[in-house]
Amino acid sequence: MFERILNMFTTVSNEAHGSVFVVFMIGLVFGVLIQYSRVDKFEKIAGFAMLRDTVVPKMLFLAIGLASIGLYFMVEAGYASYHPKPIILGGLIIGGTIFGISMAILGKCPGTGPVSIAEGRIDVLVGAIGGIFGGLVFTLYYDFFKSIMGESLGKTTLVSYFNGHENLSVFVFGIILIIVSIVIPLRQEFDEADLQQLKES
Amino acid sequence: MIRRMPWWLAGILMALLVLFTFSVFGANRPFGASTYVPYFAGILFDLSPEKYPYLKEVHFAGAWEGVMLLGALTGGFLTSVFITKSFRLSIMPTGWKKYKNTSVISRLVWSFVSGFFLIIGARLAGGCTSGHFLSGMAQTAISSMIFGGVVLLSLIITGKIFYKSEANDV
Repeated sequence: MFERILNMFTTVSNEAHGSVFVVFMIGLVFGVLIQYSRVDKFEKIAGFAMLRDTVVPKMLFLAIGLASIGLYFMVEAGYASYHPKPIILGGLIIGGTIFGISMAILGKCPGTGPVSIAEGRIDVLVGAIGGIFGGLVFTLYYDFFKSIMGESLGKTTLVSYFNGHENLSVFVFGIILIIVSIVIPLRQEFDEADLQQLKES
Repeated sequence: MIRRMPWWLAGILMALLVLFTFSVFGANRPFGASTYVPYFAGILFDLSPEKYPYLKEVHFAGAWEGVMLLGALTGGFLTSVFITKSFRLSIMPTGWKKYKNTSVISRLVWSFVSGFFLIIGARLAGGCTSGHFLSGMAQTAISSMIFGGVVLLSLIITGKIFYKSEANDV
């Protein structure tokens, strides 16, 4: 097992997707942002599912809107390339439904979960152990899951539908998301520790 | 005062992080976070990638996200100890007590089961909140928009059904 963990670092350093240090730093900054904005909290994600907290969608829509515009121009300038995921209808619809239900109950997603564990949440650690078994079952019965996922209908992007107007369409897309992020009313759900801090101030 | 970064600043910085990850100066690939789970399952249960085609498929992405995850754990730990000062061992989220029940067993059983299905769902769809929402929708990928719509719908319906609508004070 130890050898395979070392192998993980070797694999990353042999690939042209950033050095081990760069990849580690990307994760570190991600962890800081998620923790500092507190969107790793149960009250934020399950709270969003209950429509009692809107910090997660506001932040997410703003980030996507800005990134979509920035990324388009970076691709045009040759500094990045698109890697869209394939349209696999069965996988997206069944997987998305299962994912949404689980996210509402666990109150975490695969990115925010580890950050929560890092701040001492034992229930999320139990969820992560469940996740490891989920990953195990998926690996063992991949043939079965593959039959649910269905055939790929291509890696289409929205801008590719607007031939000749890609600049404008990605700009409109980005601006709409940014506006959505601003107009969603700010609602907040606090946990006990937050409320204590609020009282102190 | 609650030590917290405002949502708009976090949104702007998250967009910059996604752009850096995509760029040739960063990692020249999308940002993602659920592929490391089957990759780690393969390591923990010592499954051979030769025997399981899925492990072969996620060999590179899993390793990349595995290293990224170690960074996220470090970043989350340092921030919770030194900046937000929110680090503490806890089992029961306040929101669960308020909107579901006060049973530790119930929370842990639901955590395990939902954690299990969270990964099954993410792997079926080929991505999660990071891979599909952040990276996918930023590329205006149709697949990610389908995923996004389905997840939002099932998330909100579950929130409505699973939790109490009228909560008592803790």
